[in-house]
Amino acid sequence: MSAARQIPSLARRGFLQATGGLVVSFALFGTSEAASSLLPIGHVQNPPDAAKLYAWLAVHPDNTATLYTGKVEVGTGAQTALAQIAAEELDFPVDRLDVVMGTTSQTVNQGPTYGSMTIRYAGPQIRAAAAAGRAALLEQAATHFATTADNINAKDGVFSVKNAAQKTITYGALVAGKQLDVTIGATGAGFAMKVAPQAKLKDPKNYTVVGRFVPRKDIPAKVTGAFTYVQDVKVPGMLHGRVVRPYGVNATLISVDESAVKSIPGFVQLVRRDNFLGVVCTSEWSAIKAAEALGAVLHPKGPAAYPAKWSDWNGLPAMDDIWNVVRAGAGKTTAVANTGSVDNAMGDAKRTLKATYQTPFQMHGSIGPSCAVADVSKDRAIFWSGTQMPHEDRHDIAKLLGMQPDQLEIRWFEASGAYGRNGLDHAVADAAIMSQAVGKPVRVQWMRWDEHGWEPKGPPIAQDLAAAIDDKGKVTAWTHHMWIPTFLDTTLVAAALIGHPNRVGSVGLGVPAITYAYDFDNADVTSHGDGRVALRTSWLRSPAQYETTFAMEAFIDEVAAATGEDPLAFRLNHLKDPRAIDVLQAAAKQYGWQPRAALGKAPADGKPAHGRGIAWANRDDSRVATIVDVIVDPASGRIRVTRVVVAQDCGLVINPDGIRNQVEGNVIQSISRTLHEEVMFDRANVTSRDWIGYPILRFDEVPDSIEVVIVNNDPKYPSYGAGEPSTCPTAAVISNAVFDATGARLRQLPFRPDRLKAALTQS
Amino acid sequence: MTQTMVINVNGQDQTIEAEPDSMLLYALRDNLGLHGPKFGCGLSQCGACTIIMNGVALHSCVTPLAAAQGQKITTLEGLSENGKPNPLQQAFIDEQAAQCGYCINGMIMTAQALIERKPHASRDDIKAALQGNLCRCGTHMRILRAVERVTTPQAQQGAGQ
Ligand code: FES
Ligand code: FES
Repeated sequence: MSAARQIPSLARRGFLQATGGLVVSFALFGTSEAASSLLPIGHVQNPPDAAKLYAWLAVHPDNTATLYTGKVEVGTGAQTALAQIAAEELDFPVDRLDVVMGTTSQTVNQGPTYGSMTIRYAGPQIRAAAAAGRAALLEQAATHFATTADNINAKDGVFSVKNAAQKTITYGALVAGKQLDVTIGATGAGFAMKVAPQAKLKDPKNYTVVGRFVPRKDIPAKVTGAFTYVQDVKVPGMLHGRVVRPYGVNATLISVDESAVKSIPGFVQLVRRDNFLGVVCTSEWSAIKAAEALGAVLHPKGPAAYPAKWSDWNGLPAMDDIWNVVRAGAGKTTAVANTGSVDNAMGDAKRTLKATYQTPFQMHGSIGPSCAVADVSKDRAIFWSGTQMPHEDRHDIAKLLGMQPDQLEIRWFEASGAYGRNGLDHAVADAAIMSQAVGKPVRVQWMRWDEHGWEPKGPPIAQDLAAAIDDKGKVTAWTHHMWIPTFLDTTLVAAALIGHPNRVGSVGLGVPAITYAYDFDNADVTSHGDGRVALRTSWLRSPAQYETTFAMEAFIDEVAAATGEDPLAFRLNHLKDPRAIDVLQAAAKQYGWQPRAALGKAPADGKPAHGRGIAWANRDDSRVATIVDVIVDPASGRIRVTRVVVAQDCGLVINPDGIRNQVEGNVIQSISRTLHEEVMFDRANVTSRDWIGYPILRFDEVPDSIEVVIVNNDPKYPSYGAGEPSTCPTAAVISNAVFDATGARLRQLPFRPDRLKAALTQS
Repeated sequence: MTQTMVINVNGQDQTIEAEPDSMLLYALRDNLGLHGPKFGCGLSQCGACTIIMNGVALHSCVTPLAAAQGQKITTLEGLSENGKPNPLQQAFIDEQAAQCGYCINGMIMTAQALIERKPHASRDDIKAALQGNLCRCGTHMRILRAVERVTTPQAQQGAGQ
């Protein structure tokens, strides 16, 4: 059941629908290769009807089954977890259940795969569809054995008549050769879709697959090289394209001298449309050489140094001025919390604290640059893409090309992890334009400098906080104002370059990404957000909430230090949310937390100093608390996180090892973001164009241990998300631990050695 | 112009037509359909393209095809024994040591070369060997444990159960 099997099963359904008309069976065909003729190129079809069972499940005569879902795997293990949910309700062996994901002609649109929302929203849809599938099969079994459904047991894909040991039949044998057209019903769309509302669901008390360790379906093929990523897709007659992006973000293409690349062996065509420039060749290597020859790499000599000549555009703000630009651009104000009178309390205060927190542009930084294959002809277009939103892309790319969505199909293949929206959707658009121009299928992979330069970034954020403390040491007021540019920019790079910036998607507004839960008498938590600032942005793992949690939880620590309280006790004293309290206490117990105020003393004689920090977050209803130990070396300015403890409550757990894998990944990625990551740019464009210019964490900085405690894993809670929450507390927790160790307070990301050294001299 | 060249990959001589100045990575992926090695940066900065040449882990994105002629090249696909994962690959499965898995080729090939050189490599040895390999998903803890399953099997621990 490796992921490589996806391809034959895709083909099976393609064949089925291409030949079988509208009556689609629950199991028409065997798994013989005869049925697995490939989806004919040029054959485009719409997503299946969500109200039909066949849209979700197929059982095959060899007693394997396929689950179809519009969600995709992004490396988080969602594929396996969704299979567990389906297998549980279906009473079917999870290792015989294949999962087909994302492909628009074969799956229902369940909304994009982002925001830790897959298990939470798609899980119940799949659960209900599987329960309805089991009921339909059970009815068949009752007829088969000439008895009633309540007289039949279902287990591991086999029906048996109660008290008649010899009367058994597999699901596969039961449906072999039959045509079932079962309507299960569905209302609404995307995340909000209700599927099979009548389905009777299993009591979670009886779960045997959900909540257990099930090995991930994709891993064996990924470690042996058998896995087909989107980067590996090959289509007959495919050519290779590379993009040549403008030198400055909004530079215009003045001229391009084709003679510079014409003689490169394998050169096919330059594709120029307005400011869009691409090159198509017969081999990957020729395309790379041609793009470089045209000036695809930023050249220190400037925009006129290469045969593709760009205007000298320098419209970006200065890097060190970016937070002023963010503040100045804010238009939309949203009150997150507004209680009592902050002004009065500040006026009456014995002491007030104030601090400003600043966080930079950061990038997704996928290890594999974005890639797509497009085959566009006059009246239909097929794309092979690793997007996190195939169904949305189908509509977006249709708009880009001036076609109808039902002329388009996106065939989904997993890509390198994207953690939000990197360049994957944009690469589809690039491939579309190049394929349309040359009239052949074209594979486009961005080069490293394209990905670093042009993937949409997480936005820079500025935050001001203040607190009032009265003469008894009580905190009487809390203010937190944040300036958050949009991270919902869905415009396509290629659309802008061909002169239609508004044709696809929208720039979007800033949104308050924070859950404030403290109980201070007077509080003012306000977000000021607006559209794009400087560079194109998109959601980046825990969008903006990683940053707002940094400010909130580090400033809470500043206040606790000012009142001389233990930072854990201070939080517990000011929180009423029981699940927040649960995770904080669980983390403290695992860590062995001893109550004391933060030490905050400058390290004696420049020796490495040890500290601990704590922070928590509520990310879309999941609660997570993190505690870290750090060692700070004042001489080098380096911070090393040595021990990490995370307590996470994401409700009912589907696969505990999946949760641990996600927490470990979030922690390491967010340590990297905290210590190293800042997108550099000059007035023309991003200058962080490789892993030297945008370093991320390497093995020498990996913590000695990451301990994960799962809290409130109980069917009384739904399953919330686990793909993002544990990113949120990391910057705060490291800032807090560095303060404990040294008395230096870090309020600007990343915590590079120069910043730490500067903070040490101030403390 | 393309040229005919012979390279020895996973124990077999392979004849390919490619541009002589091209890098080994593209020959493996595009000419031979070996997708274990991945394009990550093309700059020798991330390790996604790692292969083993004559026992040494190398970045195939910057290894000229011409330099690979006559050498013994092993890719991720070539580690499997009779279609079964080799012990290191199996250790990655047992530790569930992948998220997106795009970096995993480089992790396994680099660690495999280390193990062949130093079967009982320490954690510090492993970290030092993998220092040039980037993983954005943050699978590092599991990758270390997976390699340790082979180098120090007595210390192994199970995933999840
Ligand atoms: S692709 Fe070769 S080192 Fe990155
Ligand atoms: S597992 Fe995704 S980059 Fe390492």
